[in-house]
Amino acid sequence: MTGGRAVIDGRGVVADGRPIIEVARDAGIDIPHVCWHPGLTPDGGCRMCLVEVDGAARPVAACHTPLAPGMEVRTATPRIEALRRDILALELSAHPEGALRPDPGGRDVQRLAARYCLDRSPHGHPADTPAVDASHPYMRFDPAICVTCRRCLRACEEIQGTFAYAVAGRGAGTRLVFAATDRFADGDCVACGACVDVCPTGAITDRDRAQAPAPTEQVRSTCGYCGVGCQVQVGVADGRVVRVDGVPASTVSRGHLCQKGRYAHAHHRSPDRLTTPLLRDGAGLREVTWEEATAWVAGRLAHIRDRHGPDAVAVLASSRSTNEACYLLQKLARTVIGTNNVDCCARVCHSSTAAALTAATGTGAATACFADIELARAIVVAGANPTEAHPVVGARIVQAALAGTPLVVIDPRRTALARIATVHLQVRPGGNVALFAALARALLDAGRIDRDYLDARTEGLDALAAELARDTAPPAGIPPDRILRAADVIGAGPALFVTGLGLSELTQGVGSVLALANLAFLTGSVGRPGAGILALRGQNNVQGSVDMGCAPDVATGYQRVTDPAARAHLADVWGVPPPPAPGLTVTEITAAADRGDIRAVWAMGEDLAQSDPDQERVLRALDRLDLLVVQEMFMTETARRAHLVLPAAGALEQDGTFTNAERRIQLVRAAVPPPGGARPDWEVVYDVARAMGAGWRYREPADVMDEIARAAPALFGGVGHARLAADGLQWPCPAPDHPGTPRLHVDGVARGRGRLTPVTPEASPEHDVAGYPYTLVTGRVLEHYNVGTMTRRTPSVGLVAADVLEIHPDDAAREGLAAGDRARVESRWGRTEVPVRPSRRVPAGTLFLSFHFPETHTNRLVGPHVDPVSKCPDYKVTAVRLSRGGPPRE
Amino acid sequence: MSDALRSLLRARGAPPGPLGEVRAHVARHGPPGADALRDLAEHIGMPVASLRGAVGYFADLNAPAADVLVCDGTSCHLAGADRLRAGVEAKAATRAVRCLGHCHASPALLVHGRVVHARPGDTAETLFGGGARDDAPVDVRCLAPERIVTRRLGRGGFADLDRARGDGAYTALDAALAGPPEAVLAAVIASGERGRGGAAYPTGHKWRAAAAAPGTAKHVVANGDEGDPGAYLDRHLMEEDPHALIEGMALCAYAIGAGHGVVFIRGEYPAAHAAVTAAVDHARRAGILGDRLLGHGPAFDITVVQGMGSYVCGEETALLNAIEGFRGDVRPRPPYPVDHGLHGRPTVVNNVETLVNVPWIVAHGPDAYRALGTAASPGTKALCLNAGFARPGIVEVELGTPLHTVLGEGGGADGLRAVLVGGPMGSVVTPRDWDVPVCHAAMRDRGIELGHGGIVALPATADLRALLDHWLAFMAEESCGRCVPCRIGSRRLLETVRGGGLDTGRAGLDRLLDVVAQASLCAFGQRIPTPVRELIALIDAEAA
Repeated sequence: MTGGRAVIDGRGVVADGRPIIEVARDAGIDIPHVCWHPGLTPDGGCRMCLVEVDGAARPVAACHTPLAPGMEVRTATPRIEALRRDILALELSAHPEGALRPDPGGRDVQRLAARYCLDRSPHGHPADTPAVDASHPYMRFDPAICVTCRRCLRACEEIQGTFAYAVAGRGAGTRLVFAATDRFADGDCVACGACVDVCPTGAITDRDRAQAPAPTEQVRSTCGYCGVGCQVQVGVADGRVVRVDGVPASTVSRGHLCQKGRYAHAHHRSPDRLTTPLLRDGAGLREVTWEEATAWVAGRLAHIRDRHGPDAVAVLASSRSTNEACYLLQKLARTVIGTNNVDCCARVCHSSTAAALTAATGTGAATACFADIELARAIVVAGANPTEAHPVVGARIVQAALAGTPLVVIDPRRTALARIATVHLQVRPGGNVALFAALARALLDAGRIDRDYLDARTEGLDALAAELARDTAPPAGIPPDRILRAADVIGAGPALFVTGLGLSELTQGVGSVLALANLAFLTGSVGRPGAGILALRGQNNVQGSVDMGCAPDVATGYQRVTDPAARAHLADVWGVPPPPAPGLTVTEITAAADRGDIRAVWAMGEDLAQSDPDQERVLRALDRLDLLVVQEMFMTETARRAHLVLPAAGALEQDGTFTNAERRIQLVRAAVPPPGGARPDWEVVYDVARAMGAGWRYREPADVMDEIARAAPALFGGVGHARLAADGLQWPCPAPDHPGTPRLHVDGVARGRGRLTPVTPEASPEHDVAGYPYTLVTGRVLEHYNVGTMTRRTPSVGLVAADVLEIHPDDAAREGLAAGDRARVESRWGRTEVPVRPSRRVPAGTLFLSFHFPETHTNRLVGPHVDPVSKCPDYKVTAVRLSRGGPPRE
Repeated sequence: MSDALRSLLRARGAPPGPLGEVRAHVARHGPPGADALRDLAEHIGMPVASLRGAVGYFADLNAPAADVLVCDGTSCHLAGADRLRAGVEAKAATRAVRCLGHCHASPALLVHGRVVHARPGDTAETLFGGGARDDAPVDVRCLAPERIVTRRLGRGGFADLDRARGDGAYTALDAALAGPPEAVLAAVIASGERGRGGAAYPTGHKWRAAAAAPGTAKHVVANGDEGDPGAYLDRHLMEEDPHALIEGMALCAYAIGAGHGVVFIRGEYPAAHAAVTAAVDHARRAGILGDRLLGHGPAFDITVVQGMGSYVCGEETALLNAIEGFRGDVRPRPPYPVDHGLHGRPTVVNNVETLVNVPWIVAHGPDAYRALGTAASPGTKALCLNAGFARPGIVEVELGTPLHTVLGEGGGADGLRAVLVGGPMGSVVTPRDWDVPVCHAAMRDRGIELGHGGIVALPATADLRALLDHWLAFMAEESCGRCVPCRIGSRRLLETVRGGGLDTGRAGLDRLLDVVAQASLCAFGQRIPTPVRELIALIDAEAA
């Protein structure tokens, strides 16, 4: 059928089996259409794309009729044009007069109304105009101009995977529905905006831009929320952000965005923004100039360094900040102050993943890339809830699963992905190691391992097999046949292992990831297309901040501070080598501050007081410091305790780069200037370093990146801002002509041989604690981001206004708690009060609570336990008890 | 419907016939409100909007509970169903349905699930006050030399498995299973049988395409949604000879390699649903269906699915959507069901009469079949004459028999202005064309659509304008809403005619009919204008 020639409007084309409309489009012939949209399944309903085909009894729809060899197609004969005009006149007659006004520059339907000169329908119009539905804070539905073309529905199903839309009724009563009620906000919509982008009339629009002026400038940048690194097109008018859109050409996000990336940008304009440096003056803070602030902090840092030694100072970089700022801050610590006391919030999220992957493969980063999702033969999602925390990647996994890719979900909760999984292993929080061991054992027992791969690329198989044979304790609470089924799916690999903080933030975090890496090696998955380990990084630049050297033991590009060759190389670039001994991690820094050993902390956008566990100790430690410098957008709990608060630029207000979870370095460009005196982080570090006598010279962040390339040439030698403009570069990128590296370990594992590691399951200190019968898991919800500093200052609070405790209905009944009741949640470490929501997303005995609102202070509940290797805190397992709380708050 | 939604339901492990749960809910509690929709959606594993969309499509899932269903089919309309309904409505919760398939004894009602045939002059009092009234039996005749379709009709009792087997049921299947599937396929191809649902597509060609389609899981679907008002043959076949249907499906399954079949039966046929369900259960218990057909064939089993009140669901792709739990929208074609049908798998959809022919073909051979009928349309066709004839009933004739022979069998056509063939999407056939052979091809040459073969008498006394209004309302209400010309055009047609469009503005009406005919997505919309134009011509002729 394919490959022959056909003719469209006298032009010869190849009939390759695609629909007429697509072939015509490629030939430059635009066939009018309403319901068709590139990339979505044809619908066939609007009939505007009817064309004449020689020999056909009646016109055929170009959208769903394949162009067959020999066909002669005419797309715009007078008869066809008259027919289209009549069809459009029928459609217009279903809408109030003037609702769909002809507009040559408008959306598809309004443009067609202009093309066919239809300002009113000959069939008349309904007299009544239905009301606009503005119940949702971000979305707006105008039923008066909905043409029921189902583009929104298909975008929702085929791109996002949420299935928020449907049509109800029939005949002329057919209409779009989006909930069990007629109120948009009651529905399942996650406000990704994919429907808005495809709506041919504007019936579904974004509220944030409905009243805003048209953008006068478009700036491409990288989203500042999670570690996916979606590309954004920021529309600017009058110096303010009026809209954020996706970038179809982006490999990472392919035009798609999530609710936060697309809509939650209002915090940039919040009246709460810090706009002037604030210096502690007695009990209060007074506004000072940047000159004064810079001189003051430079003097204080020098004083403490000289008085107490360089290791009395610590700096904490932000995973929110740019690579360039992170690089400069660690350089300042190592070369100007002379300490390796450098860390960042990667410590409290993926440090276990990084440590385990470094041990197993030699590189502490994702081995795979997002494009592997579509290539995968099987996907395992362990300890991650990407449809909420990494929505654009979550949507891609949903689509892969719907397209038939077998999916194993390992999670205590019945997440959206768990609901569509081939197998859901409802692991006990913190019980991963035993489960992964059982899976490894099942693979070995069934002989479903890649023997050739293991022989060629790994070591330690025999030791692992022996250990697995020795300890055969089954994981608690999971039926053995489910484990066999999951092993069957994984064994058909190679498989893509997607992991998240559910593996990392545990006392056995490193062990959990090592045990997962064992599965990846057994199935021959590391270094193969469509396979490997994809660690979903929580924050926009958590990958980059560590890449830049914001860690106490490694400098830029993971060069060990103890390695003589690395020290010599860095001395060449920096003028001085880093100090020879590793410094302290963030948890050790706060402990040392509590002891009085650390006297000064510079926190670049890191809200220690709220984010870090064992909060009481952290607050006490901060209060003991001689110097606390905080760079922040808002007055956080940490900033309140600072001696100097420096107002920081937001993600849309600065230049530089972020590195996403697949190691892709992407450009960040200032769309708008920061408000008032707020400044980009890198500039502030630069000024302080110069004030302390460093002879640094950088005109702009691109200059900093050029130095990064020299400092760590193995990973970044070929990286420069000019090369990043198109689609970014994935490290390693060692040379200017190197295309970047989508997958690691393709030509051999970085450390020589992949290491299989026997891991003995250990109970969490929060397991089986007498008197605390429930296990609390903490995590994010879609609508908010981390401690909510940004999203709580956006209309997102109209969707979720509080942290809510998810509890199994049976547990809720036993505790006498109904939906909305307030529960007191107590651990051995702290307590809080929150409203409850009975939900079957959690199994009996397990609770889930987000940590987005300061009034909840979820992290007060979390104990002091850390992974012994990575020092990552155990946010995911806390023994708690419940009781009834006070009356509901207003 | 989309493939994505289907994939989601599969991934979530939703039950195969998700709307059955909704039907059960409606039976107990009435149409679901918002809370019930949410609960049902969660329970089924379907997104709540998708479920609402499907529920909102089907008349039976939306309508408040009714004690009495009054048939509003064409035959019953002509027999005064409107007046009857007005009388009944005052006494009981009443709803109009199209149609109960009792056109031989119009007007008909379903009172608490039991069919009642009203008689002229009946009122609510006589209907409900006069005690139970038997369903008038249908008269079955055969003018063909061989009874094929009606072989077990009108003789009573063949829904019973033992009696059916005593009459030869399943012997063709038993013999066929001893040979290769290709032999069954070859016989059906060689027979030249054409589908009896209206499109007259060669049955064997359809089967061959499904047999050749890649994939191991395939389906055979019996279309028991005999929707054309005026046709009631399939209802009788399902009620009185369900084992012929099951045997035909099993032969198809064997020929194409299908392991599963579905009988989709319109909701207006509760007795047919009960009979087929019982027959399938019995056949399964007897070892005919199940892991091994008749104990020595491949696995094949049948699910019976009840329709929920939609005419368009008689269209094969809409029917497949309804079975899967989606709206009964028409799917764009290609892909065709033989490649991408039920659950996206290769599927043969045949109507009941088509499948009932198959055991006969396999038992007697294609030559015997071809000996009947015409070269282009072999075999027989059973036609249904409605209550407007002196002798209503089912008449089986050889294809190619002149229409007036059939009408004569109905007691003659004196005093009839025309006959309505093939339902409201069919044709108005005036005496000028009564010599046309009963044959899809020959009729199509004259612009006549045989449809399911229902024939409704149009007496000289009929109110043609009321009939036109009745038809247009039917079309506007039954349009699935997927394509613009049918969705909105059908409504504008009704409004135009009601607004006096027959008398003024005829050019606008013509143009509207043109758009609907030329531009609609499926045969439903494309066929709307033909009978409408023919009826208007009759109205014009009367006025002249």
